[in-house]
Amino acid sequence: MSEQKNSPVIDRRTIVRAALAVGAVNLAPPFILSARGEQSVKIGFNDPLTGTYAALGNNELIGSQLAVEQINAKGGILGRPVELLPEDSTSGDAGTAVQKTRKLIERDKVDFVLGNVNSALSLAMAQVTSEKGVLHIVPGGHTDAVTGASCHWNVFRICNTTQTEANAVAGVLLSKAGKKWYYITPDYAFGHTLQAGLEKAAARMGGTKVGGDLSPLGTTDFSSYLIKAQAANPDVIIFTLAGDDMVNALKQAVQFGLDKRLHLGGAQQELEVLEGLPPEARVGYWVFEWYWKQAGVPHVAEFVEAIRKKTGKVPTARTWFGFAAAWSCALAANAAKSLDAVKMAKALSGMTLPAEVGLMPHLPYFRAGQNQAINTLYVGNAQAQGAAAEDLFNVTDLIKGTDVAGTLEETGCKMSWPT
Amino acid sequence: MQQLILFNVFNGLIVGAFYALMALGLSLILNLSGVINFAHGGFLALGAYLAYSLMPFIGFWGALLLAPFLTAAIGLVIERALIRPLYGRDPLYSLLLTFGLAYILEDATRYIWGAQSLPYPIPGWLARPLSTQYFFLTGYRLFMVALVALAVGTLFVILRRTRLGMRIRAGTLDLETVSALGVNVRVLRNLNFGLGIYLAGLAGVLAAGMLGLQPTIGTSLIMPSFVAIIVGGLGSLPGTLLGGILIGIASGLTTVFFPSASEAVIYVMMGLVLLLRPRGLFGEEGRLK
Repeated sequence: MSEQKNSPVIDRRTIVRAALAVGAVNLAPPFILSARGEQSVKIGFNDPLTGTYAALGNNELIGSQLAVEQINAKGGILGRPVELLPEDSTSGDAGTAVQKTRKLIERDKVDFVLGNVNSALSLAMAQVTSEKGVLHIVPGGHTDAVTGASCHWNVFRICNTTQTEANAVAGVLLSKAGKKWYYITPDYAFGHTLQAGLEKAAARMGGTKVGGDLSPLGTTDFSSYLIKAQAANPDVIIFTLAGDDMVNALKQAVQFGLDKRLHLGGAQQELEVLEGLPPEARVGYWVFEWYWKQAGVPHVAEFVEAIRKKTGKVPTARTWFGFAAAWSCALAANAAKSLDAVKMAKALSGMTLPAEVGLMPHLPYFRAGQNQAINTLYVGNAQAQGAAAEDLFNVTDLIKGTDVAGTLEETGCKMSWPT
Repeated sequence: MQQLILFNVFNGLIVGAFYALMALGLSLILNLSGVINFAHGGFLALGAYLAYSLMPFIGFWGALLLAPFLTAAIGLVIERALIRPLYGRDPLYSLLLTFGLAYILEDATRYIWGAQSLPYPIPGWLARPLSTQYFFLTGYRLFMVALVALAVGTLFVILRRTRLGMRIRAGTLDLETVSALGVNVRVLRNLNFGLGIYLAGLAGVLAAGMLGLQPTIGTSLIMPSFVAIIVGGLGSLPGTLLGGILIGIASGLTTVFFPSASEAVIYVMMGLVLLLRPRGLFGEEGRLK
């Protein structure tokens, strides 16, 4: 009723516009039909390009861009060219991330969605993509739920779960650093599950928790946390932070001389963080999820060279996440011979990534039943400077993902497929 | 426990001194020009990055001296070009302008220097604790407090003893009369803005030595500074100084008992002050129109 009342007076211009529009619509179908062979397949990329996780998101973008170039050079997806549509999800605003995901799906009509660095945003995006039935690949949001309790048939993940990372590194931390742990953890999904995972793994192997504190995401001053942690007299301060938070915390801990009095360490560590630290603060035992220096692993050197040519720097785990995520889209579609999301998801589930995409000693595969990539993990210690300028991590143990990923039942994923 | 509290009071003083440095610059600009400078954090980051780029050529100390001046110079240009046309208007205009400017500055630093944290080296003898028990008292942090004290002292001398300072203070109280007495208010506002931005630049260089140097370095520090001004009282520079120190200590003490609220506590303090004493601890009544 009210719409009719409020409808504006139709003037000449409106009629002309409408006529032109109708004309265009009439003209359009044959044109589109003739061009369909060339119409591109779209991959929507929705990751933080600003804020705390900007560096990580940008590296994932670079990896995805390289993958798309390679896919196009090899004939595209189902013979059609591939186009990457990047969006800035912001680092922590779920509202924006969801809105951009909707925009990519509804307006740009993407066939795939990639994202997010932030675990909480990954979960929020997965709600949208599963509602819309679009194949969604999470490159680097680690919290367990993504492929655990909140798993979806259409959501696949490249990076490890926090529990897998915790299981991989706990043994080294206990044997090399000590049994009494104090946690400094970011107060959101990723930190909570990473700490819970470490506590679980440590308890199993005889480690104890002497305390722990939650810090708000984006905390700059960690001095009061460090004072409290030191007072609890632990063997190790476990940092489960990420991105700039990790840089700030480690830099202050080392300026306080804490690395000389006790051990510093944690689970996930990234090259972006180590590069942002002064040399003396590159300390501690950690797990990397991918490393650029892997002697004898096929295709790694070419990948490193290709990224170096693009950016002047070596790839990080994030670059590989983005690379493998975009490639997974092409692998899924080409295996399913279709862009139907259900068919692609079925094809991708259980698939082992080929050596030129996997780039690891034990090649990653998507475990069926939870759609989680089971990868190789690189446990070791940070170092001020290695043989090469960018060699800031000394890998001591290569861990096979199947040994530390736990069982499918433990993940809590109960997947239901559309009928 | 007692020791923990004592440590956190000391530590809060250090952190608070830093908040105060930022807040004083903000406060200067707000008092004289009525501009709520949301871009203050952006200038802070700019100062830090300029110092990073200068350091290979003129060293740590040279960069510490020069970068804040360069930042202030950029501030002067921006004030002249963008902010001056908005003076007579509703404060909302300048607020929106500086809000946008904050984003532009953050993205500009990201575009020029990259999104990734950069290592900002400081002299080795400053980067270690002075005593094993009071390990949080590093040379750098004490140096920083000393520098803040020096900067604040100089600022107060400028405001009390120099012609420029007296004009700024007079202008803060009654700009129209100052203008009627023949003082060039435009130049006065311009210089005052530059002085405020100088303090932002200095805070940036100091922060870079302690935290990671990243484009968001300013954004995360700006809110506590606003809170410091409100707690201390609008229009009062000593109030701002005290406000900064108070929230530093409050935030540190909260970490002892309930760390995840360490950020929220400063806003609770702000809320309490606004409820019980809306003008702030040292603020003048009816200061903000």
